[in-house]
Amino acid sequence: MVKSYIRRAYSSFTAHVFDIPPRLMAFLFLLVLLVIPVAGLNPYYLSMMIYANVLAIFAASWDLLVGRTGQISLGHALFFGIGGYSTALLFKFFGLPTWVTIPIALLIGSSVAVLIGFPCLRVKGPYLALVTMAFPIILHSIVKWTPLSYIFEGEYGIRRLPAFFAFLPIRQQRIAEYYLTLILFFAAAVIIYKVANSKTGIVFVSILDDELASKACGINVTKYKLMSLIISGLFGTLAGCLQAHLLKVSNPSMFLLTWSFTPIIVTFLGGIGTIYGPLVGAYIYYILDKYFLAIQLPRLCKYFGVTLPGEFEYAKLLIFTLIVLVLVIKWPRGIARFTTDKLEDLEEARDLDERGPRIWKRYERKKK
Amino acid sequence: MIEEIIIYSTISGGVYALLALGFTLIYGVSGVVNLAHGSFYMLGAYMFYVLGTFAPELPPILAVILAVVFVILAVVFVGVVSSILYRLTIHPVLGDEVGVMVVTVCLALIFQQLMLLAFGPPNVPVDPLIKGSVPILGVTVTYARILAFAVSLFLFASLWIFISKSKIGKAMRAVSQDREVAMLMGINTEKLYMLAMATSSMLAAVAGIFISGSTSGVAGAWIWMYPLALSFSIVVLGGLGSIKGSLIGGFIIGYAEQTVIIVAPEGGQIVSVVPFTVMVLVLLLRPKGLFGKRIEMED
Amino acid sequence: MHLLEVENLTKRFGGLTAVKNVSFHIDEGEMVGIIGPNGAGKTTLFNLISGFLEPDSGTVKFEGENITGLAPHKIVNKGIARTFQIVRPFRHLPVIANVMVALKSPRGARKIEWLKTMERKAADLLEDVGISELALEPAENVGHGTLKRLEMAKALATEPDLLMLDEPFGGLNPLETDFLTKSIMRMHLDEPSRGILIVEHKLYALMKIIQRVIVLHQGEKIAEGKPEEIAKNKTVIEVYMGKGM
Repeated sequence: MVKSYIRRAYSSFTAHVFDIPPRLMAFLFLLVLLVIPVAGLNPYYLSMMIYANVLAIFAASWDLLVGRTGQISLGHALFFGIGGYSTALLFKFFGLPTWVTIPIALLIGSSVAVLIGFPCLRVKGPYLALVTMAFPIILHSIVKWTPLSYIFEGEYGIRRLPAFFAFLPIRQQRIAEYYLTLILFFAAAVIIYKVANSKTGIVFVSILDDELASKACGINVTKYKLMSLIISGLFGTLAGCLQAHLLKVSNPSMFLLTWSFTPIIVTFLGGIGTIYGPLVGAYIYYILDKYFLAIQLPRLCKYFGVTLPGEFEYAKLLIFTLIVLVLVIKWPRGIARFTTDKLEDLEEARDLDERGPRIWKRYERKKK
Repeated sequence: MIEEIIIYSTISGGVYALLALGFTLIYGVSGVVNLAHGSFYMLGAYMFYVLGTFAPELPPILAVILAVVFVILAVVFVGVVSSILYRLTIHPVLGDEVGVMVVTVCLALIFQQLMLLAFGPPNVPVDPLIKGSVPILGVTVTYARILAFAVSLFLFASLWIFISKSKIGKAMRAVSQDREVAMLMGINTEKLYMLAMATSSMLAAVAGIFISGSTSGVAGAWIWMYPLALSFSIVVLGGLGSIKGSLIGGFIIGYAEQTVIIVAPEGGQIVSVVPFTVMVLVLLLRPKGLFGKRIEMED
Repeated sequence: MHLLEVENLTKRFGGLTAVKNVSFHIDEGEMVGIIGPNGAGKTTLFNLISGFLEPDSGTVKFEGENITGLAPHKIVNKGIARTFQIVRPFRHLPVIANVMVALKSPRGARKIEWLKTMERKAADLLEDVGISELALEPAENVGHGTLKRLEMAKALATEPDLLMLDEPFGGLNPLETDFLTKSIMRMHLDEPSRGILIVEHKLYALMKIIQRVIVLHQGEKIAEGKPEEIAKNKTVIEVYMGKGM
């Protein structure tokens, strides 16, 4: 009898609490994001959120290419590293200020996108995944190569890069950095969203769904893939630039495979092909990593008197990846998406569901 | 110098062919791009090391026999683990290319961390099976390397025969050519895939033991990345799904790699560029590889 | 000059010759059918003409121009549109967006009068094939009959000079078949210079609308002529019914 009461209470709770329309939820989340830093947050957490914003930009750029246009990229770290090193090299050799180096870096990143478009866009599926993996690894070795260390400064990378708001005291610097990255994320998200929901975005989805049928509609698939790659590369490079200036260093680790995999994990956590996915996913990722695993878990263990092996560092990534693995197997479309699908009916889901563009909403209005 | 290049690359080419064969096998049979292939290489090496720590001091001949036993044990262990993992993690997401890759990537990272947890970041020693060396063409070649070469070719040949002649081999080829028809013909694809996975991982494990044992002598938690790169660049070069391609591709990459190591300044650092550059070039110039199946119209 | 001229087209897959030395032509405004038992090479022939496969030998000329081996999307933009035997909708897009993809192609886009928006044009096309009520439904949710008609709408979106339909009646019930037959006739009347090439199994529906029939068997053209002649052709009957009937 108690059991059925609990069950009823639980279902009534979930029905009402989760009944919040998704738009409202998104708005509340946004509000929290905007207010948090001024509400006096521990600088450790603020830092975490700054990097989450940057990661969100990175993941959003990856999502356009992979989630929206269906081009499996396992080498997005390429743009990340190119962003970091371009801005660093421009600073090192020409002493240019950040607001000059970053736009130039973006240009370089887009050009690189065009360059790798040639081998990448002609191949499909597994070949594409493999060739995209190749580029960042090649660059990783090159920037670490000792004979070239007078340019790239080898393993430790180019250090002492200028911070964004060096003229402010530390605490205000962090807050400013937070808002900068947040605004940039929104700018990126809006642009990507607009593209994804334009007629061009429709073509992107057609390529994702059925490349052959898209060709049969007269679409120059390669051209659109290139478009998607360039936009994706642009924002990926931006993320790299930001990361480099926030960390004040640009080193070979930016080209590591792990950076190529992180947007995959992030978008899975947040939901593939959605606009909020990258941000939600990035926050979940960092919260999981820097909060739960770094702080809460050891605290919990201390509370229960369990001593952790000294190599807990390693267990962190392990647990992390295990979680992602389980998630991927159970919910291939990402959990945030799964939750939203389950919570609303189809109409509402379509509102916020970015797979199908909002073009038809406009048509609906026109029809009336 | 040239003799060095030729000798070393021939030897490594043979083992690389084996490594690539594993990768192309699992892809050809089940369509899985196994990004954890390098992890099985690593696991093989680590398992061999672990078994080695239990080895008592023995006279040379017995030591070699024990080493062989250990190799077999380590390899079989990897095979079993891989097929279980396959059933648990990859099978549910079969058909979803991105999902499979994410899953295998996760597996690769998990293995990496497990190795770090279990053995720490420092490298562990992997003993060569036989000690001693012999000069060939003026180059000192260890017996270990020669053994590696011989065993690789033997295994490669046996697998080739197995796939061409045996019933299971024929089933594998049928499935790789047309999955649906094979299923209609009553071939149990699930079991076949598990078998392919086991075989593929065992090949990687063998390569792991032999290469680590005879070249660097160590294994570390990050040694899975380079073999993975090698595997797929060889397979791209030789043609995804082609056994012949893995063989020839393995040797070509072996030669290219050795040339860079010996000729370029600090070649060891830059060596990982080789397989990848080759791969990119191949995809630019001849996407289907040397012997790959032509991809024209997909369904 | 013929609208479409196919000469000695041959395609081999390994040991199998799917299409062997097939030659025929279509003139403006003609409605031609291609029939033949399963495996005769009809779809392969379509793929060869529309650029999805490259022939081993032979040529395809469209409006006098050699289009053999051109990329499929280029061929579409020259004026040949095709549908697929097994429907290929864009599952994640609503029905109307499916059509809009075709309207985004250079050829599809140029024909839009500047007062009409793309959505309007797409809606009109959906109405032409009779599925406009389902415009906003995700393509993965609609029924087979709708999808078949959607294929047609996508093909028509580029206003082709040659329309190639691969088993358009496949899987349709008699009502849908009838509607589609009427649609195709209407298309023909709306655009008299447009050539229509149809591959079909449902002979009763096909024979009513086409003017000429080409019969394929094991990759070769074994007969060509008016529907009445073909229906009486001994070889054709044998091939369809099997020898010794």
